[in-house]
Amino acid sequence: MVSLAIAASRPAAAQWLNYQTAGIPRTADGRPNLNAPAPRTRDGKPDLSGMWAWEDNRPCPAEGCPDAKVGQEFINIGWSLKGGLPYQPWAAALVKQRSAANSKDDPQSRCLPRGALRILTDGLYKKIIQAPGLLVILTERNATYRQIFTDGRPLPDDANPSWNGYSSGKWEGDTLVVQTIGFRDDMWLDSSGSPLTSEAKVTERFRRPNFGKLEVEITVDDSKAYTKPWTIKLSQPLVTDTELLDYICLENERDSPHFVAK
Amino acid sequence: MNTARFLLWAVTAAAPLGAQWLNYPTPGIPRLPDGKPNLSAPAPRTADDKPDLSGLWEPMGEASSSFAGASARDAKFQDISLEMKGGLPLQPWAADLVKARRAANNKDDPDSHCQPLGPIKMHLHPYPRKMIQMPGLLVILFERDTAYRQIFTDGRPLPVDPQPSFNGYSTAKWEGDTLVVATNGIRDGTWLDVSGTPLTDAARVIERFRRPSFGRLEIDITVDDSKAYTKPWSIHVNQSLAADTDMLEFVCLENERDVRHLVGK
Repeated sequence: MVSLAIAASRPAAAQWLNYQTAGIPRTADGRPNLNAPAPRTRDGKPDLSGMWAWEDNRPCPAEGCPDAKVGQEFINIGWSLKGGLPYQPWAAALVKQRSAANSKDDPQSRCLPRGALRILTDGLYKKIIQAPGLLVILTERNATYRQIFTDGRPLPDDANPSWNGYSSGKWEGDTLVVQTIGFRDDMWLDSSGSPLTSEAKVTERFRRPNFGKLEVEITVDDSKAYTKPWTIKLSQPLVTDTELLDYICLENERDSPHFVAK
Repeated sequence: MNTARFLLWAVTAAAPLGAQWLNYPTPGIPRLPDGKPNLSAPAPRTADDKPDLSGLWEPMGEASSSFAGASARDAKFQDISLEMKGGLPLQPWAADLVKARRAANNKDDPDSHCQPLGPIKMHLHPYPRKMIQMPGLLVILFERDTAYRQIFTDGRPLPVDPQPSFNGYSTAKWEGDTLVVATNGIRDGTWLDVSGTPLTDAARVIERFRRPSFGRLEIDITVDDSKAYTKPWSIHVNQSLAADTDMLEFVCLENERDVRHLVGK
């Protein structure tokens, strides 16, 4: 967990970070009114645009809270599932082996991309930009993005394997339903090493029930690594009056020589 | 010259062949009767009647470069001063630095070590980039390392004491049909091109974006960096719209085997 602790540390807020976010409903005292209705785009769809944090659902250890907190899902994406994730036997063995090795081979600890799902569960801010025909997620970590096409295009038959996969979304009422295929075969979904394979089909259901809340229901259908599809739900708060900071993992990177297994 | 750099460039520049999913027609492009994009059509405009810079852009081939492995498309990426009469107005220490970097085969170019390139070198990079113009914000998504840059267009001022960063802090306003972007807060030690042209944390950069037609983007870049240069200087960048395709994920660090082979002379 050394790399995680270092990688997740944030600089203190500086003056230029405090510029007021435009277009946010405010209460009489000037504070953001996060219970206001979700904004809508010109075409009447909910506007998911905004900067979003992660759910603070991980209790602090007895020795006190770390500076950089992460949500439970970042450590174990299936923590809320009864009985845990339905690993195939080989996948269960792999997670055990990764855990025994202190997760030292986690690609993100080597500054490689976190991939489409881990940018939703990590302990850094992300900004959603909902443009016509395209939803973009900007992340602080490595200042990278993910594209989700919303122009009606079909999923490809033979996608280029990638960290983000190929995503196409369409609205069902007020829910944006995003389907993704084309992942690499060797992804980690969390710091425990839960795998994702190139077989995976992922469905994400994005909702914004009010101004200050984003809900993402994620269903992973990956029969190579899991015995059945499984679903988790993220609930994330809006972040206002601040901005993304560039966090470049590889900058002055000195951690990897110190990674050791148990 | 610069064999290590050439090898690295040759490896990193190898793009996969087009696959079917790359060929999805870009929506919203005016077309000729034969279905081809009409790149001479007028530039699109946003709801508030500003030119819409949104689109997928690539550097246009223009000058040739003396760099091994360079193509017309990345000539200024190799040498930003290519079309400059008399060359860059480097301060003496900066001229020495460029000389030293070249003598060392440019092996310390941050690009070769998978570090971010910063806003100016990103304009010159041969891979495609996508501009997304939203109310209050212009975002540039780059194929290289799936990196992005934000340019605030909501009227905010430049910060007095910005956090030094690879991209710096950018705000912009429209002057007629030209988006004028001012940037400060770029970190010290930035390379502007493969040749090792420096930029310091004293730099103020002005970029003027225009879209004279549907298929063309023009960027005038003025660098005012009195620490490294004796006077401000400018370059002009032309980019063309890339229709009916999209960016691929290019992760510089993925299976990276080059760095250990980078050596000075």
